[in-house]
Amino acid sequence: MEELLKLLKKIKPEVNFEGNEHLIDNEELDSFDIVSIVSAINDEFDIEIGAGDIVPENFNSVQAMYELIQKLED
Amino acid sequence: MSINSLYFVAFVAIVCILYYIFPKKAKWVVLLIASYIYYFLASNKLIVFLLFTTVSIYLTALLLGRIDNKAKDKCKEIEEKELKKKIKHRAKTKKKWVVFLAVLINFGFLACLKYFNFIAGNLNGLFALCHFQIEIPFQKFILPLGISYYTLQAVSYVIDVYRGKYEPDKNIGRVALFVSFFPQIVEGPIGRYEHLAHQLYVPHKFQYKNLKFGIQLMLWGYFKKMVIADRAGLFVNEVFAHYANYTGITIIFAIILYTVQIYAEFSGCMDIVRGTAQMMGIEMAENFKRPFFSTSVQEFWRRWHITLGAWLKDYIFYPISFSKFTMHLTNGAKKIFKNTYLSKLIPAAFALFFVWLGNGIWHGASWKYIFYGLYYYIIMMIGMLLEPLSNKILNLLRVNTKAFSYRLWQMFRTTIIVFIGMMIFRSHRLLDAWKMFCSIFTWQGIGSLFDGSLFNIGYIPHDFIVLIVGIILMFVVGLLQEKGYHIRETIAKQNLPFRWLLYYAILFAIIIFGVYGPGYAASDFIYGQF
Repeated sequence: MEELLKLLKKIKPEVNFEGNEHLIDNEELDSFDIVSIVSAINDEFDIEIGAGDIVPENFNSVQAMYELIQKLED
Repeated sequence: MSINSLYFVAFVAIVCILYYIFPKKAKWVVLLIASYIYYFLASNKLIVFLLFTTVSIYLTALLLGRIDNKAKDKCKEIEEKELKKKIKHRAKTKKKWVVFLAVLINFGFLACLKYFNFIAGNLNGLFALCHFQIEIPFQKFILPLGISYYTLQAVSYVIDVYRGKYEPDKNIGRVALFVSFFPQIVEGPIGRYEHLAHQLYVPHKFQYKNLKFGIQLMLWGYFKKMVIADRAGLFVNEVFAHYANYTGITIIFAIILYTVQIYAEFSGCMDIVRGTAQMMGIEMAENFKRPFFSTSVQEFWRRWHITLGAWLKDYIFYPISFSKFTMHLTNGAKKIFKNTYLSKLIPAAFALFFVWLGNGIWHGASWKYIFYGLYYYIIMMIGMLLEPLSNKILNLLRVNTKAFSYRLWQMFRTTIIVFIGMMIFRSHRLLDAWKMFCSIFTWQGIGSLFDGSLFNIGYIPHDFIVLIVGIILMFVVGLLQEKGYHIRETIAKQNLPFRWLLYYAILFAIIIFGVYGPGYAASDFIYGQF
């Protein structure tokens, strides 16, 4: 989780990720940010997030992203 | 049966009564039969295309589910990890081919019917240029009603099943209703299965609030279409048809009024569609969120024709962004430009190109539509490319970007860009758009603004006043919604005489000030052609 948070802050330093559960709903992350985040996560965690995984529920919070990573690692 | 005809209103009333009369289990069947009757009345034998799309996506989804289940069952019996991986990979490849074929066939029909003559015309031109003695004959295809909308909706269903977003639906009736639901089939909104199908299938109890809010939304939609859009159309049609006869200020006026027309018409149609569905307790996706309050072109397209933008994002932008080619492109860009802004921009620019090309092509078989899409692409690319520089300049000049005045400037800038886009969209050909654009800068005939002759083009004198009042009303409603007011809830809290006075005012405004075609026929919708 810490590793992920660090990665997200590096990509989008102006966004407050901690405790934020509406990153997509509040339009704090747009589609370009999602592409940057996904490609960084794919590289860092050696997983393959596909276009089908790109739904708001998976990216609305750091916790949701972390759960998606864990699911794909399994 | 146009959506703004009395027949449609009568049809909706009958369907609504039957929907609430029939027992719970049969309610969705009422909607399905009504949808097919509506489509048959509008398209006759062309209904076979709708049927084909429905059956093809239903069977494809089932096949995808079966491939998945078979692979899962096999994996359960096997311990070895490598073998499990192989089975999963094989199933994925199989699924990829199945979904590819289904998408190809459905888009193939759309491409053939909608773009055949455009492609043939361009190829013939190319052959003539190369002195080849080949000529592809033009075909007289009739486009099935709403094919551009229901094909996107149907394709999204099979792709989502392929992606494992949800299980395939075993009930063909439910899939058929999802594809054909009558209010949305002509102009959208392009619904998503996970949001819409369940709502259409489950029975909704009669609720006075739904009926009341639905009728209110429909009335507002008719007002926007018949009082504002059709009245603006009188001026717009005349100027765009004979633009060479008019001068700068008139052209500017025509472009502004066309933008008003298309917004009032398309968003009005969506209000009618959403209102119809709401009367039966069905909440449809929003297609417009006051786009003219946008501070950038990107934001504008997040608020204008939202469901098309979302479709293009989910089924073109993301798949291309995460494709192997784009990943290679990203890595290549990182190597050359290190971890700079430019290295992030290149893959986004690549994926966005296809989004805007798709947006243009979807609107129609003409170079002007392709250019229309690419116009926004170029604007966005310039904006993104200059973003670091403009941020630096704004910092240097200590501009408060959060101030209202700055937001106002951003809105103004975005609106001007949209006006130019609308001019391309409305022109008959690209060359006409260019000529019109050049004529804006002639600044001749400014006197027509003061002597009143400008306001008489295509109008009888009172038309212009009605139009201006309508536009102001539409703006005020938009502004209140933008400020967070819920108009219908606010009206519901008012006393009975005020409420009914308001309903009658809108109703009579539509009856008295609505623009009707010959024999009081309703005029067509621009977006119904797509």
